[in-house]
Amino acid sequence: MRFIHSFLEGVKALLHRETVDRELNDELHDYIQCAIAEKVRNGATPEEALRSARVEFGSIEAVKQEVRTTGWESVVESFGQDVRYCIRILRKSPLFTAVAIATIAIGIGATTAMFSVVDAVLLRPLPFPGSQRLMMLGAHARGGTGMKAIGIADFTAWRDHQNSFERVAAFDGAAGTFALSGLGDPEKVPGAGVTADFFAALGVQPLMGRFFQPGEDRPDAPALVVISPQFWRDHLASDPNVLGRSIVLDGTPHTIVGVTPGWFRFPSSNPIDVWAVRTLPHPVSRPPYSLRAFGRLRPGVSVRAAEAEFDGIASQVSSQYPSSADLVGHLVPMKEWMVENVSTALFVLLGAIFLLLLLAVVNVASLLLARATLRVREVAVRMALGASRRRVVRQLLTESVLLSVAGGAIGLLLAYLSVRAFMVVGPGRIPRLQEVALNCSVLLFTSLTCVGSGILFGLAPAFIASRTKLGEPLKRSQRSMTSRDAHRAQRAFVVAQVALALLLMIGSGLLVRSFLRLRSVDPGIRADHVITAAIALPKSYSDAPRNTQFWMQFLQKVQSLPGVTAVGITMSLPPNLLEINNPFTVEGQGYDRNRALQLAEEVPVSPDYFRSLGIPLIAGRFFSPSDRVEDEHDPMLVIINETMAKRYFPNQDPVGRRIQTGDPDPKAPWETIVGVVGDVKYSGLDAAPAPTLYVPFNEYGWSEWSREMYLVVRSGEDPGTLAAAICLELKNMDSSVPLAQVRTMEQLLDESVMEQRFRTWLLGSFASLALLLSAIGIYAVVSYSVNQRTQEIGVRIALGAKSRDVLAMVLAEGFWLLAAGSLLGISGALMGTRLLRTLLYSTSTTDALSFAATVMILCGVALLACYIPARRATRVDPMVALRAE
Amino acid sequence: MANSTAAVVQGTLDMLVLKTLALQPMHAYGIAQRIKQISQGVFDVNPGSLFPAFKRLERAGWLASEWRASENNRRAKYYSLTPTGKKQLKAETRDWKTQMIAISRILEA
Repeated sequence: MRFIHSFLEGVKALLHRETVDRELNDELHDYIQCAIAEKVRNGATPEEALRSARVEFGSIEAVKQEVRTTGWESVVESFGQDVRYCIRILRKSPLFTAVAIATIAIGIGATTAMFSVVDAVLLRPLPFPGSQRLMMLGAHARGGTGMKAIGIADFTAWRDHQNSFERVAAFDGAAGTFALSGLGDPEKVPGAGVTADFFAALGVQPLMGRFFQPGEDRPDAPALVVISPQFWRDHLASDPNVLGRSIVLDGTPHTIVGVTPGWFRFPSSNPIDVWAVRTLPHPVSRPPYSLRAFGRLRPGVSVRAAEAEFDGIASQVSSQYPSSADLVGHLVPMKEWMVENVSTALFVLLGAIFLLLLLAVVNVASLLLARATLRVREVAVRMALGASRRRVVRQLLTESVLLSVAGGAIGLLLAYLSVRAFMVVGPGRIPRLQEVALNCSVLLFTSLTCVGSGILFGLAPAFIASRTKLGEPLKRSQRSMTSRDAHRAQRAFVVAQVALALLLMIGSGLLVRSFLRLRSVDPGIRADHVITAAIALPKSYSDAPRNTQFWMQFLQKVQSLPGVTAVGITMSLPPNLLEINNPFTVEGQGYDRNRALQLAEEVPVSPDYFRSLGIPLIAGRFFSPSDRVEDEHDPMLVIINETMAKRYFPNQDPVGRRIQTGDPDPKAPWETIVGVVGDVKYSGLDAAPAPTLYVPFNEYGWSEWSREMYLVVRSGEDPGTLAAAICLELKNMDSSVPLAQVRTMEQLLDESVMEQRFRTWLLGSFASLALLLSAIGIYAVVSYSVNQRTQEIGVRIALGAKSRDVLAMVLAEGFWLLAAGSLLGISGALMGTRLLRTLLYSTSTTDALSFAATVMILCGVALLACYIPARRATRVDPMVALRAE
Repeated sequence: MANSTAAVVQGTLDMLVLKTLALQPMHAYGIAQRIKQISQGVFDVNPGSLFPAFKRLERAGWLASEWRASENNRRAKYYSLTPTGKKQLKAETRDWKTQMIAISRILEA
């Protein structure tokens, strides 16, 4: 009750300040009058009474001040005074204010944006209930490593015999699209094949309808699909009776049973339109390993126990398929699995941002300090007039907090805009990007950073300025007085700025070097004038002759288009769209099951594929249309690449030798090597050279797999018209088959390094900002220093110093600071760049060239920043300087 | 004199003002004189402590004030005790007496 009353009274006092002041004044004067009257009554003369009453009372102003400071509104009032005063001061030096606010805005804005991203992607849990118990299951051969996909045999065995998980499910590990037909033009839609318990295991609720139920992934079950609201809106016109409708995916009608909530995107980081049931037919062999499995761990079950359970089940499966390798399981929390690729990069970027923020803070601190020393006189006068040191410090702090709040507000806006930009421009492979938003924790973070940095960089100048001895500044001229502490602090600031900027620049320099190296890697092909597209034939083409005939006809049609030099199809496309890895055995190697697995990239291709991409022939020959390979008794042919030839047939001619593919098995069919071609990158430009096998796409056993192929066309024609012509040919042959992902090979090469380019660009912008900020900081500090030493310089010039000497004097000071800062920055970088190791391609973390180049750039810019005020110093007119006060 | 008044702790001054106003409403000078009178000169409260005390007590809701015509026909601010103030005075007096007894015991022990 008391507090409410006090609060209300305070508000009243704030609103009616003048009345309150007047009343207090009246009351105090009345008191004195009473005292005077009393004294007169006791015999004093009116003048004596007046004087003694006044003396006894003391200072009226002091009493008024005492009264004013009781009551909470006084704090608000003085704060309001401070703010108004600060605004007046800041308005008087607009350049300084603008630079300071801009610096803070950049620092806080960039930090907030980056933190939002890191928070959403790395820190926040997945948007599923109990997501910390969701585990991804991966497997690898005994003695190997990795979280590889598993096959149907292993998954069904695990699903049926495990006890550690409440539910398990799997989805197709291959990049998912389905050919949609029957709804307008055929097109490829992003989709995923998932098992029956997929949605139940994740714990997602449908927006409408239902999700799959156990058993609906049996081979004989009807084909069902779940769609996204976007798909419902864009392709089905938000039909209210959508449940029960059927859409044709990959040639098979699927019935729609439910709609997912709009935010749901698992398992991709890009939007998915359809989730179709992935049937699990009884497997004839253990591979292919294409299922990504996961499960919801039961409470109380340890990860190790669950892994051991899988190992036991897997060894049972091994005994069912004796020629397959032993598999060992590994469980990883789902969130970790999703973000592992980007976590290093994101943390490095976050670290860089914090350095930038620190730099910004130091910059503004140094600016404020420089200004504070100019205002020493004003501070002295205020303290002489009775302001307590606390009040002075508070006012100076208010100034810096005001600046940082203004900068923070602008920074928040900047952050919001850059987050939106990031989501549009940022590479699609950053998972969970759609969850990025400016949320409460981010706002809290920003506010703390704001106020924190305001206090931080207001503190030093405030204390230094308020520590000046009262007498001095009033006696001596302002210009020649430089607080030694202030100068020392400023120099420390410059050293810190140089070090921080250098750190950022070296990091970014390394990334730039690495990216340039990456981009210049030879992919093994001639990428000019090549256009690529993806074509997926529906299931009706699983019949081998039909499949082969379609492709042959289609290739002929495209070949006869004007301008086309060569055309081929392939299952894997350089530089990073590899589909299949297969183990292999060279004739004479033996079948020891404990031998380490030899894997080769296996690529089914058409005869002209090599010519289309300009892949050189090194020995033997290419495939030819006259090769007979389709019958099961025809000889099996294979072409290997240079790496495989060098590694497994050193100093021999591989042509004519034989290999087997698949798990080591003496009864596997033999394949004869007919040619050797140059190395081509299929697993990314930064991948190490790997053995590659090429087989004819229509070879016996391959043709039913060759339904989803990439088309490669070398032609001098304009890509747009060419693509349209190809699309027409395809439509004429089968109107239900879409031509998708049409890109030139050059575009593909660019896209494959998209992530690295983005990272490099981002870090490079931070480094440029850092350089700019530190240059401004150095300029400001040296500038103020010159201003303060104008008298001294004037004296020196009057005594005979030449411009050269003055220049040298100013630059020398800057030079030593640069040297100290560079030393600090370089030693920091030598230790810190180790963090970048995983992000660099074939570049050492102590790459001498990068270090040297960045140091030189920084020194160059910094010296320029020193030079300008130094030049100004040489132009000081000694007469003016000596007279100036 | 000055030393004694400086030593009057804030809380005690509050209690003295409340007690003074228990009898009748008074203005500032009257209160100061009454305290000085009754304490026989020991407590000569200076205005720098007095006026803040009034504001404090008023904020707490223990005093009410109004402007009235005083003896010499001038406008003066008169303070009076509110019901809550009366309760507060009783409480503080009780606490003070308890403390006094305790301190006497210690000093005589």
